[in-house]
Amino acid sequence: MRGLFRASGRGHGVADESLGIQQQDKPARTAATGRLTVGIPKEIHPGECRVAAVPRTVPRLLKLGYDVVVETGAGAAAAFMDPAYVEAGARIAPDARALWAEADLVLKVRAPERNEALQAHEADLLKEGARIISFLWPGQHRDLVEHLARRKATVLAMDAVPRITRAQKLDALSAMANIAGYRAIIEAASVYGRFLGGQITAAGRVRPATVLVIGAGVAGLSAVSAASALGAIVKAFDTREAVREQVESLGAQFVTFQFDEKGEGEGGYAKQMSDAFLAAEQEFIAGHAKDADIVVTTALIPGQPAPKLVTSGAVVSMRPGSVIVDLAAEWGGNCALTERDAIVLRYGVTIIGLTDLTSRLARQASEMYATTVANLLDDMTKDGTFTLDLHDEIQRGVLVLNEGDLMWPPPKPEVRAGAPQPAPPQPVVRAAKPPRSPWPARVALCVAAAALALLGVYAPPALVPHLTVFLLACVVGWHVVWNVTPALHTPLMSVTNAISGIIVIGGMLLTAGPRVGLGSALAAIAVLVASINIAGGFLVTHRMLKMFRK
Amino acid sequence: MADTFPQVSYIVASFLFILSLKGLSQPETSRRGNLLGTIGMAIAIVVTAVSLFLRGAGTAALPSPSSTALLAGAIAVGCAIGAVLAARVAMTQMPELVAILHSFVGAAAVLVGIVTKIHSAGSDAAHELEIAIGVAVGAVTFSGSVVAFLKLRGSVSGRPLLLPGRHAANLALAASCVALTAVMLTAPEPGIGLLALLGITALALVLGVHLVAAIGGGDMPVVVSMLNSYSGWAAAAAGFMLSNDLLIITGALVGASGAILSYIMCVAMNRSIVSVIFGGFGAEVKAVGAPKASAGTARETNIREVADLLTASKNVVVVPGYGMAVAQAQHVVREITDALAERGVHVRYAIHPVAGRLPGHMNVLLAEAGVSYEIVKEMDEVNDDLPGTDVVLVIGANDIVNPSAQDDPGSPIYGMPVLEVWKAGRVVMLKRSLAAGYAGIDNPLCYRENTLMLFGDAKHSVSQLLAAVRER
Repeated sequence: MRGLFRASGRGHGVADESLGIQQQDKPARTAATGRLTVGIPKEIHPGECRVAAVPRTVPRLLKLGYDVVVETGAGAAAAFMDPAYVEAGARIAPDARALWAEADLVLKVRAPERNEALQAHEADLLKEGARIISFLWPGQHRDLVEHLARRKATVLAMDAVPRITRAQKLDALSAMANIAGYRAIIEAASVYGRFLGGQITAAGRVRPATVLVIGAGVAGLSAVSAASALGAIVKAFDTREAVREQVESLGAQFVTFQFDEKGEGEGGYAKQMSDAFLAAEQEFIAGHAKDADIVVTTALIPGQPAPKLVTSGAVVSMRPGSVIVDLAAEWGGNCALTERDAIVLRYGVTIIGLTDLTSRLARQASEMYATTVANLLDDMTKDGTFTLDLHDEIQRGVLVLNEGDLMWPPPKPEVRAGAPQPAPPQPVVRAAKPPRSPWPARVALCVAAAALALLGVYAPPALVPHLTVFLLACVVGWHVVWNVTPALHTPLMSVTNAISGIIVIGGMLLTAGPRVGLGSALAAIAVLVASINIAGGFLVTHRMLKMFRK
Repeated sequence: MADTFPQVSYIVASFLFILSLKGLSQPETSRRGNLLGTIGMAIAIVVTAVSLFLRGAGTAALPSPSSTALLAGAIAVGCAIGAVLAARVAMTQMPELVAILHSFVGAAAVLVGIVTKIHSAGSDAAHELEIAIGVAVGAVTFSGSVVAFLKLRGSVSGRPLLLPGRHAANLALAASCVALTAVMLTAPEPGIGLLALLGITALALVLGVHLVAAIGGGDMPVVVSMLNSYSGWAAAAAGFMLSNDLLIITGALVGASGAILSYIMCVAMNRSIVSVIFGGFGAEVKAVGAPKASAGTARETNIREVADLLTASKNVVVVPGYGMAVAQAQHVVREITDALAERGVHVRYAIHPVAGRLPGHMNVLLAEAGVSYEIVKEMDEVNDDLPGTDVVLVIGANDIVNPSAQDDPGSPIYGMPVLEVWKAGRVVMLKRSLAAGYAGIDNPLCYRENTLMLFGDAKHSVSQLLAAVRER
């Protein structure tokens, strides 16, 4: 076992010590093969249906060099049954206690909590010095972090993945937000007593529902996309102008309002605004909510209670039968009347404050979460061993506890990503060109004037008509050729190849004479090459143009 | 009548040439345009031949049978060679054909100039000057086109030849030409004047080689357009020396056409036209500050995923680059887009002005593969639609879809207009590896979060993709 776990950085000595303890109570099989055991417990949080590994990700974990043990029934709520896991190469642990006792690395969805059935906290069930990967919210769960620290655990929080492009495939939060946004529309549609899309039927015309999505982050955009797919008229509100393009690309209308404060905060999340700003925002939203049939709110500011964007006044002004889905319910809600984990009817408006929307799409959510976790393990596994690289921005970011040492919060990242996609709000303007100096043009004009003056004085009169023809032909050529479509530029070149073979006439005049001498021989060569141009140019152009078809 | 008749016919021929270029403005009228050009050329040649005999009838200037045979033989052999070349050339080799045809015009101009000089001993200074200019332009066109041809064929390295003090050398060559022209104008004996002209020819040939050798292989579209223009000016100069308006008009048309194409190419590559004319502008790349290193991971995808993505899309844009033509993948790509179109996917091709090795080259290659020109769009037509596009398939293109051109002032291609494919829902890049593009610049597009990379040989990848799309 020694050397299996290499932590670069501090805490090295501790690592060796704790691993020494581990080795004693390790089951014989694992010790013999020298492989770490990854454990997938059944989630115990009430109503939680997701699971941290699915049969599809099990082979990936095995390939990385881990044994995989799944608690019996762990995936049942998401319709992933034990036999499927076995078929994928996992072992089944008969109960939670057996699983926690065996696992060196636990993959979970929810943060560890007290298991009422076993009368024990999951943090205590975790083997001392073992590792755990789950959503943790270390900022909100200080007690839990301390508890895990006492267990000398190494803890990685999936909610702390830095928002940089490289970490996109590990971004479990975005994956869950995507699902929540979709499900929000499904929940709203199921209680909204009408079609979302408009129809004209024999039984009358149905007007499409108007959906207002507040906050165009990942969840918001997902809701926009789901609502447009159902045929609703969708408006999305956000204070960040940068997301306009994304909203509009999904076929929704982007609404925003002007106020003297930038809405974009650190790490690409929206930042908190002043009171005056909030008041103006509330008023603006109330104006739009009045005409909306479904309002989905997704506004969150990291580490802060959710901003109250939909006031009770705004709810009162909405049509009876309308629906509000508050995706921020877990953090206090964006709507003043939201009740956490409940669906309530207020002033004729149904307000959905469910916090388990992702769990209500458990199959999809489990699959996506399990993939992000497997991707993280992929990054952290070198040559079949679990290896932490503290210099890696992503690994440093998710690390909450290293062998019980508090590592959170990580030092400020230097890279800043625009949210939710790093689309830099770059103006579409091309390279800013310095204003062109007028001098070259003026000089050219003077030179041309001087040249014409010289011509006027010295040129033989016979030259002038030719010059006139030449200049007029240049002008004609310039205008005619600008009209040529770019698609035909190659045929244009080959045609000009052909017609510049007109020089053949010069050669002809010089070849045909009373005698054949050196001069006419050279001229004949000119005729020959010019003829190649003429025949080759016209024929190849013809060949090309024949290919152009509608 | 003997003099007026050809002049009037030349007016008709000039007019037909102008109509010919006008016809090329649209694919619908292009074939008629080519036909009109051919008729114009036939009229010019026949009338010239007839007038030779009419004018010489009854005088000592009547062409002898042997010179007539020589003339007829030259035309016949030239046309035969031209016809074979035109029939045999592969569409990917069009740039080489165009380049070598330019060199022929240049060579003809040089020969016509020298023969004119031989015939016209002791004419006036203006005429001598016309000959000198015609020969010099012709020689530069000839040797420059030959070098361009060899570079395009790969017979010589595409890398720019950057001699120390090359601008000084160019200047010295040009100045020597001017000096020799002065000698020629003031030469007491025709023999010395002819020698001076041959000297000009030699110097101009060296100048042409040097100018084009200094330009990198990636900038060939500009070079070929430039030489197209030069060949026109050479023909016009020959017109001046022979006092023939048809040559002047035609030369001016071709010269203007080449100049416009060069300008379009320069804008498309963000180069200054002046630096192209004086050569060696590939060197600018190094002069600009270090481009941003683009860190990040490229996400690799597989054939099945791409096939799923394509068949599930409503709007697909294909961006072909020269890499596709090199891999000869355009036929299979067309089959893929046909299969998608059958499923109701709206497919279009987006062409960057410098996507091939010649202006409009990619359009010809797609036309050869049987792609309808109606779904082949230019960059400006497509860029506005890209945000509403589901998937962009980038095949063998790199620099023309590089976002650095817009957001990285340190990049050598900053300011070059590019296809803004990253604004689409997804970008799938078919690429051999993560290596940099023709200009040697890393492409941050590979690391964008909505970009998927499909590595491998383009031909192989698209063949598998076609099979996968058909299975769906």
